[in-house]
Amino acid sequence: MKKRSKKTGIALLLILLGVGVLILKGISDTGVYYRTVSEVLVDNTLLEERGVRISGEVEGGTITYDQQELKLSFLVRDLEEPEKTMNVVYIGVKPDAFDADVEVILEGRYEASQNTFFAETLLAKCPSKYEGKTEQIEE
Amino acid sequence: MVTLGNLSQSAAFICSLLAMVLLLIGLMRNDLRFIEAGRRALTGVAVFASMAAFSLARLFMTDNFQVEYVASYSDRALPIFYKATSFWAGQKGSLLFWAWVLSIYIAMVAFNTRKETTRKNTPYIYLVLAAIVSFFFLLLITVSSPFDLLAYMPKDGNGLNPMLQNPGMIFHPPTLFLGYIGFTIPFAYAIASLISGEIDPDWLKKTRRWNILSWIFLTIGIILGGQWAYVELGWGGYWAWDPVENASFIPWLVSTAFIHTSIIQERRNIMKVWNMSLIVLTFLTCIFGTYLVRSGILQSVHDFGATGLGGYFLIFMIVVALGSIILIAESYGDLRTEHSLESLISRESTFLFNNVILLAIAFSTFFGTIFPLISEVVTGNKLTVGEPFFNMVNTPLFLLLLAITGLCPLISWRKSSINNLKQNFMYPFGLAFAGGVLMFGLGIREFYPLVAFTLSIFVSATIVLEFIGGARARKKLTGEVILLAFPKVIWKLRRRYGGYIVHFGVVLVVIGITGSTAFKLEKEVTLQRGGTMSIGDYTLQYKDFNSFQDRNRTVYAATIGVVKDGKAVNDMFTERRYYINAKQPTTEVSLRMSLKEDLYLTMPMIGKNDEITIKAAVNPLLGWGWLGGVFMVVGGIMAIIPSGKRRKAV
Repeated sequence: MKKRSKKTGIALLLILLGVGVLILKGISDTGVYYRTVSEVLVDNTLLEERGVRISGEVEGGTITYDQQELKLSFLVRDLEEPEKTMNVVYIGVKPDAFDADVEVILEGRYEASQNTFFAETLLAKCPSKYEGKTEQIEE
Repeated sequence: MVTLGNLSQSAAFICSLLAMVLLLIGLMRNDLRFIEAGRRALTGVAVFASMAAFSLARLFMTDNFQVEYVASYSDRALPIFYKATSFWAGQKGSLLFWAWVLSIYIAMVAFNTRKETTRKNTPYIYLVLAAIVSFFFLLLITVSSPFDLLAYMPKDGNGLNPMLQNPGMIFHPPTLFLGYIGFTIPFAYAIASLISGEIDPDWLKKTRRWNILSWIFLTIGIILGGQWAYVELGWGGYWAWDPVENASFIPWLVSTAFIHTSIIQERRNIMKVWNMSLIVLTFLTCIFGTYLVRSGILQSVHDFGATGLGGYFLIFMIVVALGSIILIAESYGDLRTEHSLESLISRESTFLFNNVILLAIAFSTFFGTIFPLISEVVTGNKLTVGEPFFNMVNTPLFLLLLAITGLCPLISWRKSSINNLKQNFMYPFGLAFAGGVLMFGLGIREFYPLVAFTLSIFVSATIVLEFIGGARARKKLTGEVILLAFPKVIWKLRRRYGGYIVHFGVVLVVIGITGSTAFKLEKEVTLQRGGTMSIGDYTLQYKDFNSFQDRNRTVYAATIGVVKDGKAVNDMFTERRYYINAKQPTTEVSLRMSLKEDLYLTMPMIGKNDEITIKAAVNPLLGWGWLGGVFMVVGGIMAIIPSGKRRKAV
């Protein structure tokens, strides 16, 4: 009986080992850095090997959109230090919530020579998405 | 109404405290009268909680915007039935809903056990339940009351987020909650056994219906959430491994594991420590889900914002986790069993492997979800993972799980002989192999889809064999014709066959997910009036554009002509809606569904001169997935229908 239990134990151990390997490989293959705009501007040495996710705010007055080409470009500024900005280019449909001063989360690659972020995904965070806002009523 | 709400909440809290005090006195003095009084006080909590819930519903119905919560989630123009659902649109109302449902569940337990108060464990069950429900009411009356007032009376409310103005809103959150909350009951039974020092050998039997019912609700909640995202949010998908989705999926995985090994304990009286730990883990992951949503520590589509409740849930979780670990460790001697798994190739061990894999998926999902929080400590760098991570890690695990689902019924209890294996495996294996070869020939060359479809055939074949085998055995036994024996045996052994129906549902879900991920087509094109685009077998023509006023919104609608394989079929209509109270528009999806594939259209943008951008997607086989969800729920319900003779639920 003991012997057979051992076999089961080994099988279990192998599964757990496999899961561990999968998770580690998953992180090294698919993990992306997340940074603020100013962090990327200061140091972009590591960012060439893998993607990066940044969050920032859309600078008003810089949004251009070509609906035929579905090409969106704008300036994104740091959440804390608004004077730090970079260009963003995104090909795709402009999200409903996207607008001036909205917080966006971008994933893609940063090209330091052009100070441009080529975004593959663009998420616009609607500030009042689910949480009710009472300030609006007071106006 | 506001006063009634506030008073009822406080009364519910005091009542739960009173119940605890009475039960403690009863336990110390060994006096049944106090325990009976405690039981009644517990029922009282449900009465007061219902009054509080009624008050909040009434405030929504009467447009009382001085109540901050009502003003935040409703307005005059809101249709009456969404006013009712606004109850759980925000976190304060959700919390009240939670506490209310829990108190009703508890009252049900108190009623069903009214004749069992002399049993040693019963008072402890009440005590644990009273403690948990008092925690929720404490939060409600101190930091998160839905009855807080504004200093003035606004003219109108802020309105309900348009995305929540969808039938999904009625069912998705409450069913998830019903599932989350339901696991409190078996958890209380388990903990009561541990505290009293007398492990009730029947605690699993007594709580089986609670487990499965909660699991059914969780399943419905998750599937409805996926469907809601699919038909309402308009991004063409149904699952994105978002932190809050994961938060609902993790308890589902753990409870699924628990339901499986509790069968083993019932049959063979082993794995007692394991099951005790699993129900604790199920309960903890349910609370973790709530914590994740409320704490704002992670970015999510379900962004409720940080609300300060997170800390309380964190403390609650730590207390529950540490307490449970200590209690299980103390009772370890009583829980240990003489028997253990006897053979690697036995049905028991397939259950064990199923558990390990389910928990591995739960762990990787949990790990990936919280990874952004710990990455800097672990890797020295701020890293995050998303959909690709979960797909990469979980896909092989899911396929392994699917394989075990098929293997399990083929392997006999205790130990399988080689002959027995050969005989059982022949047909399913042969069928699956033939099916795999055929699909390869038809051009499915990618590894995962090929494996997924082949395994789907394998599992379906084993399930069909089980049904046929059962009917044959009954025919032999009773002499009935097979057509009569078939439904009879299913009904008679509905617990077992219900399980197989759930498994078949899982197979359908796998087919749906595989088809719609591996073979999805997607295209975004900007069209002038009259312009056409093509995707898959379809040619789409932008025919017409309209705008009109409708209730609390302005609607822009495009008519799209559809030609499939050269034949014109019904036009499709996709809309953008601008709600009066919302800054951003919503996208109305147009869907053409069939079992073969869905054609999915949205209009994410409207330009000058009625120029529109159309986003079209073809999602093959997705309909199978929704159908699978129905099977899972029906099978689950079948498994808990009580038999007429001994109708006795907890």
